[in-house]
Amino acid sequence: MTDIQATPTAVTPSRPGGLMGRLNIGTGVLGGLILMGIFWLIAYATLSHGPGDTDSFGSDRVICVTMVGWLLGFMIGIGAFNGPVRWLLGKDLATEEHQFLAGKDQGIGRYFRYTTDHKVVGIQYLVLTMTLFFVGGSLAMMIRTDLITPGSHLFGLQTYNAVVGLHGIIMIIATIIMVTGPFGNFIMPIMIGARDMAFPRLNALSLWLIVPAVPVLLSAAFMGGIPTGWTAYAPLSNEAPPGMDAYLMTIITFAISVALSGMNITVTAITMRARGLSVVRLPIFVWGVVTASLLGLVAFPLFMTAQILEGLDRTAGTVFYVAQNGGSVWLYQNLFWLMGHPEVYVILIPGFCAVLELAPVFARKPLFSYRTAVVGIAGIVGLSGLVWAHHMYITGWAPDLGGPFMLTTEMISVPTGLLILVLVGTIWRGNVWTRLPMMAGYAMIWNFIIGGVTGIYLSDIPVDQALNGSLFVTAHFHYTLMGGAFVGGIAGLSYWFPKMTGRMLNEKWGAIGFWTSQAGFQVTFMSLFAIGLAGEPRRVGDFPLTFAAGNTVATIGAYVIMTGMLIYLGTLVWSWKYGEAAPPNPWGAKTLEWQTPTPVPLENFEVLPVVTSDFYGYGEPEPALDPEPVGVPAQPAMAAAVPVPDTVPESVPADAVTSAPVTSAAVAAGETAVPPQVAATGEQEPGEDPAGAGTAKEEEQ
Amino acid sequence: MTQTTEAPPAAPQPKQRSQTRQVVLMWVVLTILLELFALFVPAHLMGAPASNDMIDIENSMTVFSVTAAPVAALVWAIAIYSLLRWRHRGSGPPDSAGAPIRTNVKVVAVWTAVSSLLCLFLFIWGEVELSAEQSSAAASNGTVIDVTGQQWAWTFSYPGAGGFTSDVLYLPVNKPVTFRVTSEDVVHSFWVVQLGTKIDANPGETTTASVTPDKLGTYAVRCAELCGIYHAYMEAKVHVVSASDFRAWLKSNKAQG
Amino acid sequence: MRIRTGVAVGTAVLGGAVVITLLGTTLSLASEHSPELKAAVRGTAGTPQGRLPHAFLHLATYPDSMAGEHGSDGGAHPDWVSYGPTTTLQVPAHSEVTVTIDQYDSGGTIYNDYFAHPHGTVGGTETVNGKTVTGIDPDNVGHTFTLHMFPNSTQPDLFVSAALPAVADNAPTEKNGYQKPNVVTFSFITGAPGSYIWNCEFPCGTEYQSFGGPMSTKGYMSGTLKVG
Repeated sequence: MTDIQATPTAVTPSRPGGLMGRLNIGTGVLGGLILMGIFWLIAYATLSHGPGDTDSFGSDRVICVTMVGWLLGFMIGIGAFNGPVRWLLGKDLATEEHQFLAGKDQGIGRYFRYTTDHKVVGIQYLVLTMTLFFVGGSLAMMIRTDLITPGSHLFGLQTYNAVVGLHGIIMIIATIIMVTGPFGNFIMPIMIGARDMAFPRLNALSLWLIVPAVPVLLSAAFMGGIPTGWTAYAPLSNEAPPGMDAYLMTIITFAISVALSGMNITVTAITMRARGLSVVRLPIFVWGVVTASLLGLVAFPLFMTAQILEGLDRTAGTVFYVAQNGGSVWLYQNLFWLMGHPEVYVILIPGFCAVLELAPVFARKPLFSYRTAVVGIAGIVGLSGLVWAHHMYITGWAPDLGGPFMLTTEMISVPTGLLILVLVGTIWRGNVWTRLPMMAGYAMIWNFIIGGVTGIYLSDIPVDQALNGSLFVTAHFHYTLMGGAFVGGIAGLSYWFPKMTGRMLNEKWGAIGFWTSQAGFQVTFMSLFAIGLAGEPRRVGDFPLTFAAGNTVATIGAYVIMTGMLIYLGTLVWSWKYGEAAPPNPWGAKTLEWQTPTPVPLENFEVLPVVTSDFYGYGEPEPALDPEPVGVPAQPAMAAAVPVPDTVPESVPADAVTSAPVTSAAVAAGETAVPPQVAATGEQEPGEDPAGAGTAKEEEQ
Repeated sequence: MTQTTEAPPAAPQPKQRSQTRQVVLMWVVLTILLELFALFVPAHLMGAPASNDMIDIENSMTVFSVTAAPVAALVWAIAIYSLLRWRHRGSGPPDSAGAPIRTNVKVVAVWTAVSSLLCLFLFIWGEVELSAEQSSAAASNGTVIDVTGQQWAWTFSYPGAGGFTSDVLYLPVNKPVTFRVTSEDVVHSFWVVQLGTKIDANPGETTTASVTPDKLGTYAVRCAELCGIYHAYMEAKVHVVSASDFRAWLKSNKAQG
Repeated sequence: MRIRTGVAVGTAVLGGAVVITLLGTTLSLASEHSPELKAAVRGTAGTPQGRLPHAFLHLATYPDSMAGEHGSDGGAHPDWVSYGPTTTLQVPAHSEVTVTIDQYDSGGTIYNDYFAHPHGTVGGTETVNGKTVTGIDPDNVGHTFTLHMFPNSTQPDLFVSAALPAVADNAPTEKNGYQKPNVVTFSFITGAPGSYIWNCEFPCGTEYQSFGGPMSTKGYMSGTLKVG
């Protein structure tokens, strides 16, 4: 592990951190394995056989307890409980220790630790999300390869079902965290002029809960898989192999993480805004992240409840979902969709709002009708809790409620339409700068319209009788979640990449990769619409000849998507390491995160900004006050509100790039707090778009 | 700075007016193309309907597509036009900003009103269809068939004809049938594709669905809810036959049973 | 050293493709592969379709996995019920196929009486221990052999189901260590070549409704049958 203190450039005399200084992901894995072993021994000795020899739940009990051991051991090993324990013992942390926990002067090692700095957590989320997308995408390729022709049983139906379930849940987890994780953590606090999140340790906790849950989830592949699809409908899940235990332990862990980060983000946005940053001046992205987090905070405990009940059915012989013994299959479906429908907006709203945030920058216009956007978001959030049963139109549950649910479902098209109006209105007569973030926004408009219109068909009960459970539904939610939300996430990543990594994303190759994947995406999912309309059910590992052509075309499209995504990923990794150094504000944006130096200093702002207007005043006469909040002297009282006294010199940006051995001369220039674009041109690749050099002087005032 | 600053609604310059005209033109062209698609493609992909319900469903598909086409065309027209005419190429941000339009109350109001009306139309359309379907189901006094889903087979019982069971579904043409659907194990979904009938088969519950097939032919029952390893193969054949053929089939089965 | 963008992107694409291919190959190799059992053709049989080649298959159902395709140690789940000697079957096209199944397992009540009767067999009957029947006691079913596939234009429908009665608790023990089996024989007629699946419709597995475990895992109580 790369945890050894590679750069002991200790500014402070004695190395702080104590025990925390020695804990990292390596000790986490070690702790996890040890406790896993202990828990397994205990469970095997005491729980593997229940009363009577007809108890078939023993092995599930042992597996669940073993997984709890791993999760608990990992969290202990990485030091998640050190803070609470010290607090219980009455030993508060010293300033140096706080700074150590925030990863001050620790180079690359801080990314492998329980680091509290929101920027580190943001990068960790980004890497985690990309890893999950890679795994989930590979599984998608398995699915499409298996379905290339009828009867082409590359793996057989059993493995097929297992792969479908794993693909689904990995992608759902990844899309839930893909915007609120990286950008909600890295960008949002800077956007509101805060030095960190409200609860930095909870922030680290919400990330590190997911990390050990990933191997738990993947272990399902070796225990019969998740042959139920990601929805894990009971009682099919009661019947499923032990891979199901991995699924439900992952969901329980993940739900805790989502709830914690939701609470943290909400509290941060409510309490830690800069002076003058009133609610109506909040960047729209903050609205998106906060409302989605709030929605997740409400929805995910229900998911957890559903899975805890399922866990009891599987391990303790309860019958919550066993109809033969008085349980109900509709109980599971209700709990699941009470989470499931808000959940799609937890995914969608931040991605959409990322595009709304960058559209004014690239159109050089104010966001069109800010209040309409807020009303739209609020409308979606409000209605999203009242539409869940449209997933259950044809289940036979409460047929009399069909009409009301049809109404709420169709009503949600009105606030969603408002968001589209805001986006289109922002583009209208703008000087549209067609860089990758904006172009991804355009792709999102295209996909999202298709996803939205096909959603209208599904909202209609008679039509849903023909389409529910078919590949039409699969294509519909891929258009909204992958074509809409995920592309919004790509737009956000391309937009904030320079701020987060200190490098420019290679425009040419990024665009090639992105558009290749978009072309493939249209081919694949248009085919799925067609064969779905023709009557192919979803989640089938084989199909009659009628659907052969559509499936083959879909598979070819999927390979194009794969190629495009790999090009984009390669560009991303290359740019992160070798891309030209990014100026602090390459896009000429007005929001606060672009007014900080790149790399962003440990505490973001030397003096906390005071906000005097909103951030969308493109093309408007400057207000009397300086619109650029940085540099406005902060009240001493404001600065003292953070744990670190302002007297600590902030001139040394504590980014990985500056202190890690890989430091390049170009970025090292950042130590002098001068935007590093000056040295960047020397490293430029021939024939490349000299974006960085060109934009340097465009930096606002 | 207040958010609601109206865009100065100064008299539009000629250039701006001609741009608006071009966008509208593009909208009209796109709308026509999308309408052609909407009229002919979605319903065609669903195949020939074999019941009144399926005819209604395919009509609804067409109506929704036709309704949605202008909206989609408007958004896409503006997006495409902005790329053609308002595009700024270059490595740096544009030198000049776009028109500082903060909002336009009229546009927002019209948009909200139109989308609300469209939404209301959708709802009323759906309700009318739904109540028509339900009333015909309530009035139907036809053949009752007990459908049982189990991993991974469908069986069909005819309680009105001595209660024999079959693995193939026979239906009389132009006569209402009511399916009483249940499951022996997990959740399945009983889907007769060309009849537009779908209802979940739940363990411990009986759900019902009614339909009147109106076209002779052989169709497929598929399971539309993932139900385990052989979910893909949980299919059965449906024969919609004339009344006399149906009676003959019932008789031959009764004789066997 | 600075790597060129194109090289990096090419590496990513190639590397990704390799990873995905490896994953696919691993999954494919890890899937159950079982040896194929080919029906032996001996003579011809008189059928309503005229004289056809007559093929014979001999299968067995065991209360464990020690005698099937998982080896004498029973593989990963020695205590799961299984068909033997294998679950991958092949029979000739346009033939009469006579299947004999030695049923060694105990049983109970089947969910759906329909599968306590033979369907799609020659004459709609099966023979149990030499006696021709049109059904067995639904409260005393051991397993079923149920063959089906979705309706497809390229291959004829083939729905065949035979019920295998349970072995009584007090049945004598055989030399092979199992109790004396019920021997069930039934015949069906194949048409053009095609691929089918078969499974057991008696709840003999584990977990919910006894349809998990061996019932939901290929190579135990289900398999494939290829015609032609």
